[in-house]
Parts: sequence; C-alpha cells; structure tokens
Amino acid sequence: MSDPLLSIRDLVTQFDTADGTVRAVDGVSYDVYPGETVGVVGESGSGKSVTVMSVLGLIPEPPGRIADGQVLLEGRDLLTLSDAEFRDVRGKDIAMIFQDPMTSLNPVLTVGSQIAEAIEVHRSHLSDDAIRKRVIELLELVGVPNADDRFDQYPHEYSGGMRQRAMIAMAIANEPKILIADEPTTALDVTIQAQVLNVLQTAQDETNAGTILITHDLGVIAEMADRVVVMYGGRVVETGTVDEIFHSPKHPYTLGLLSSLPRPDADLERLEPIPGQPPSLINLPSGCAFHPRCRMGNDRQRCRFETPERIDLDAGRSTACHYYEEMDAEIQRVQDATGAEISTEDEDA
Amino acid sequence: MLNYALRRFLISIPIIVVATFLIFWAISLTGDPLQDLRQQPNITTEQIERVRENRGLDEPFYVQYAVWVQQIPTGGFGEYLLSPRPIAPDLQRVVIHTLQLVIAAEVLAFIVAVALGTLSATRQYSVFDYSTTTLSFIGYSMPSFWFALILQVIVVQIFELTGVRLLPLANLSSPNPGTGLAFVWDRALHLVLPVMSLAIFSVASYSRYMRASMLEVVGSDYIRTARAKGLKEGTITRRHAMRNALIPTVTVAALSFGTLLSGAIVVETVFGLDGMGRYFIQMLGRRDPYPIMGWLVITSVVVLMFNLIADLVYGYLDPRIRYD
Repeated sequence: MSDPLLSIRDLVTQFDTADGTVRAVDGVSYDVYPGETVGVVGESGSGKSVTVMSVLGLIPEPPGRIADGQVLLEGRDLLTLSDAEFRDVRGKDIAMIFQDPMTSLNPVLTVGSQIAEAIEVHRSHLSDDAIRKRVIELLELVGVPNADDRFDQYPHEYSGGMRQRAMIAMAIANEPKILIADEPTTALDVTIQAQVLNVLQTAQDETNAGTILITHDLGVIAEMADRVVVMYGGRVVETGTVDEIFHSPKHPYTLGLLSSLPRPDADLERLEPIPGQPPSLINLPSGCAFHPRCRMGNDRQRCRFETPERIDLDAGRSTACHYYEEMDAEIQRVQDATGAEISTEDEDA
Repeated sequence: MLNYALRRFLISIPIIVVATFLIFWAISLTGDPLQDLRQQPNITTEQIERVRENRGLDEPFYVQYAVWVQQIPTGGFGEYLLSPRPIAPDLQRVVIHTLQLVIAAEVLAFIVAVALGTLSATRQYSVFDYSTTTLSFIGYSMPSFWFALILQVIVVQIFELTGVRLLPLANLSSPNPGTGLAFVWDRALHLVLPVMSLAIFSVASYSRYMRASMLEVVGSDYIRTARAKGLKEGTITRRHAMRNALIPTVTVAALSFGTLLSGAIVVETVFGLDGMGRYFIQMLGRRDPYPIMGWLVITSVVVLMFNLIADLVYGYLDPRIRYD
C-alpha cells in the first residue's frame, strides 16, 4: 500500500470532570489512505467522535486535553501546529460533516452564505461572483434542486435531508484530502438516509478524499466502507477490511455486534445481544474493558487484569483480544445458537 | 411589515384606553384633589365649590373619565386644575428633555452591555468575566439616586483637588447655552452624569442577559460547524454567535424601556432636570389629576412603541420570524 494520508498514532484525549479525569480516547491508532472509506463503529461513548474531534482540533480546552499521540496528515503532525496553522487545515485539508443537520447550520444566515464562507476563508482571492457560482455548482452536485434560488434561503426553509446535503456541499467546498462524516445519517429518515449516503459517495468520488465514516449502523458500514475500525471503551479493538470484519471477526465484541444485528438476508432463528451495558468511561473495567460482557472470556484472570495491546495479524488487520485464536470456535458457537451464517469462508474451505 | 406595524398600532389603542381608565380610577381613589385648597384660609368654600362644579368633580369617576377623554382630540390634555393654562406645551417640553436623557442612556447601556456580555462569555471564568459579574451585581443592587450623588461628589472632589470643572452637576443647559452646535455640546455635557446614573442599572442587567445567551449560543452545533470551516474566533463571535445571542437581548432591552422611564424620575429629581420625571413628582405633590393623566398617556404610548420596536427588530435579526 502507498503511504497513508492521515495517520492517527496512539492518540490520548482526556476530559477533566467533577468525578475525575476521563480518558475518552485511550491510545487510538488508525490510518486513512487516499480514496478509501474507513468505517468507525462502536457504541455511544466508545470514543469514535472524540477521536475525529481531536483530529480536527475541535476539543474544547478546558475541560478537554489531547494528552498524547500524533495526528499525521501527509507526515505533518497536526497536534504541533499553531492555532493559525491549524485553522488553515480545518475546512481545507480536513472537512467534517456533523450528525444533526437541523442544528449544525446557523439559523440566521442563508445557506448559500454559509457555504460561501467556507470557500472565502481559504481562498480570499476569489471574487464574490466566482464564489457564488462555485457554491451553486456544489449545491447542484449534492442534489439540491433550484440551487440558484436555494442559495438565498435560510436553513429553516430546507428539509432535514436538504440540510445534510448542504452540509456535505460545505464540507467538500475546498476539495479536502480527508472527509470526516460523524453519523451523517443518524438524524434522518430511513428513506433520506440512502439518498444522503449516495450524495456522500458522489462527493467522495468527486474529491477522491480519504473518508472517515463514523456510525453505529453496521448496514451503513457494509454499504460504504472499505475498511473498518471497531472501537470500545476509548480503544480500538479490531481493524480489518469489511469482509474480514463481517465474516471472520477476531474480537468477541465485533462478533457480539454482528450477532445482535437483524439481517434480512440471513435466516436467523434468534438474535444474541451483547449482555450488560456499555461501560462508563469514568469507571472503566480493569484489564480488557469488554471482559464483564464477554461470552468468550469466562472471567479469566488475564482478561480481568491485563489490558490487551494491539496484535497485528496482517497489514491493516489487528485485534486487541488475548484469546483471539479461540474466535473460530466462538463464531461456530454463535452460528449454532442463532442460525446465522457469519463465517462464509469456512463453508468455502 | 408596514401592514403589521399598522395593525399593532391599532391594537395599541384599546390598550391605552383601558390603561388610562384604570389609572383614572386609581387616581380618583387617592382622595380629594382640592384638599390642599381647603386648608388655605384665604380661599372661601364658595370658590372651592365653583371649581368642583366646573370640573365635574361631583360626578362619579367614570363620568369624569368620559369628560376627560372627550376633550383629548380637541383640547390636547386640557388645562391644569387650578389655573386656566393648557397642559400640552409643558408636557411637550419635558417629554423632549426626558427622551434625550432616556434614549441616550438606553443606547449607551445597550452598546456597553453587548460588549461586556460578549467579552465575558467568550472568556468565561476569566478574571475579566469574574470582575464583570461582580460589577454587574453591584450595579444591579445600587440605588440610582445614591450612584448619582456619588458621581456628583466625585466631580466636586476633582474640582477641589485640581480646579478643573469636569462636568456640570445639575440642570439641562448653562445659563447661556448658545445656539446650534454649541447648544448641542452644552446639552451633551449636562447629560453625561444623568445618563451614567440612569444607564448603570441597565448595563448591569442587559450584560447578564447577553452573557447568558452568548454562552448558550457558543456551545451550539453551528458554532462548531463554523470552527470546523477554519474561521477565526473573532469572525465566529461576530458573524455567527453575536447575531443569535442578540435576539433575546434586544427583546429584554426594548421591553425594559419602561423601567428606564421610571428610573428617570429619580435621576431628574437628583440633577434638577426639567424632564418628565420631575414634572410628574411636582404634579403629584399638587394633587392635580390632569397633567398626571397626560403624563401617563405619553408614557404608555412610548412603552407600547418600544414593544413594537422590539418585535420589529426581532424579525430583522431572526429570519424565521416574518410579519405578514
């Protein structure tokens, strides 16, 4: 593989709270290559959003603080940049699409002017007319009809799906190298979700940006992503291609996600949910954060007291489980229990 | 928009009618307006009875009210109870003086408060924020007559120490104010201390509102979006945050205009300004209901007008609100 465009290395982001310091992101590393889509999955509070906020330098300080690690964009560590240098990266090299399009646009400014502003701040030499033309082009690209009229409308005159399209237009306005989409479809109707994902795909094709797609929807991952990063309790627990993650997971948490997902294509007899609750970051379990909920660990001493480090299995393939070798048997057990067909490779073999 | 303003104006008329009726009734409860006259030994009972009859003071208060309302379109606000002079010219003079004072105080208070509120919200929990908060509470709890006196004392002290006559201590104009620009400058100097005494409370209160609504706006998603675009903090504050935060602050400021008018009563009395406040106190002392009624009509109209202005500015700041 070529060099990664964006490389997150051992990132630690913590927040000071009344109950003590919380490590929302604890040693997260993953790479994004040009033109690929990296899906980041995990429950609420797993640190997936905080990671990308750290990448963009949008962690409010205080109470937040990036305590350790590197964020390398084409080899340049963003975390060592001055405020002014970082501003230059934001919105130009790295752009972000946020979760809730209803609140992410400023209600008192026209949609067009808000997109125009994103261009203006990085390309001040352009004339107002040129910027307006470019914004209308962008709006057309993301499928906003009557873009010329829509330019001068306010966010409240847009529907939710249209607003998210406008947010995508804003994000790709400067043809960023990295596009971050933080749960871009969570706040939308199911029918609109598919449309917005299509627009996102178009936008990515147009800019050839490396994309980080954060979601807790495995369906979206299957649809959009090339590679997957699974996060739990502020750490990366597994990475791999979509195929690898869906068909031969190497971490019991990933398997838990798959076995709790109703799938129309698989003939499931029943679902096997992950027992228990997502952990509280303030009081994270010792050892492997997943051990209290793990069906495979059986409360083994090692799981309870030794934090599993990343084990690299292959290029871009890693897991953070002491007993990942037992996963084949565990997959078999889950298949027998639920009637799911997770491991298609087994049958081929 | 014009349509809306006109409609609002028409709705205001019954409000004023009801307000004046209630006030007229309240004044009629305060006792006999001729009471003072009776205590004067050189005025005979016959004379008093003549005034009573001429002014219809024997009638029930609603009949008196009807008589008073009828003469407004033709006779302005009528004549004083005990002298045949018309009230309108006096009222006009004091209203102009008071509006100069109050509008200057409102504009000053608004500008200073927006600046203070914005700065303390963007520097939350800084030394500046804590000092502004503390000063706001002091300004909020300080009686304006006391603050006015302190200002006068300071100016006098400066004069005694350095011999510099910094600012005039009382009145609206010098004995020979001149004309044109010289007159305006003279008036402005005379208004400095009264405007400060009057504005301090409003600065304290508006800046708290501005700070609170800025803090709310600064934490909102669209500010994060603006930051993600790579905008400078200053641009984010001015272009994205302040305009949203101004919406509630403008409402509060415009609706508090009535408070400023009542505050002017105290300030004008302390500084001996020939304004509505001092006029009101004098007329109250004379127990003359007619100038007081005129005064209240004007005040009600001004307050209602500022409510209307609040609504119109609101519509200008927030595109989600449209009047048609």
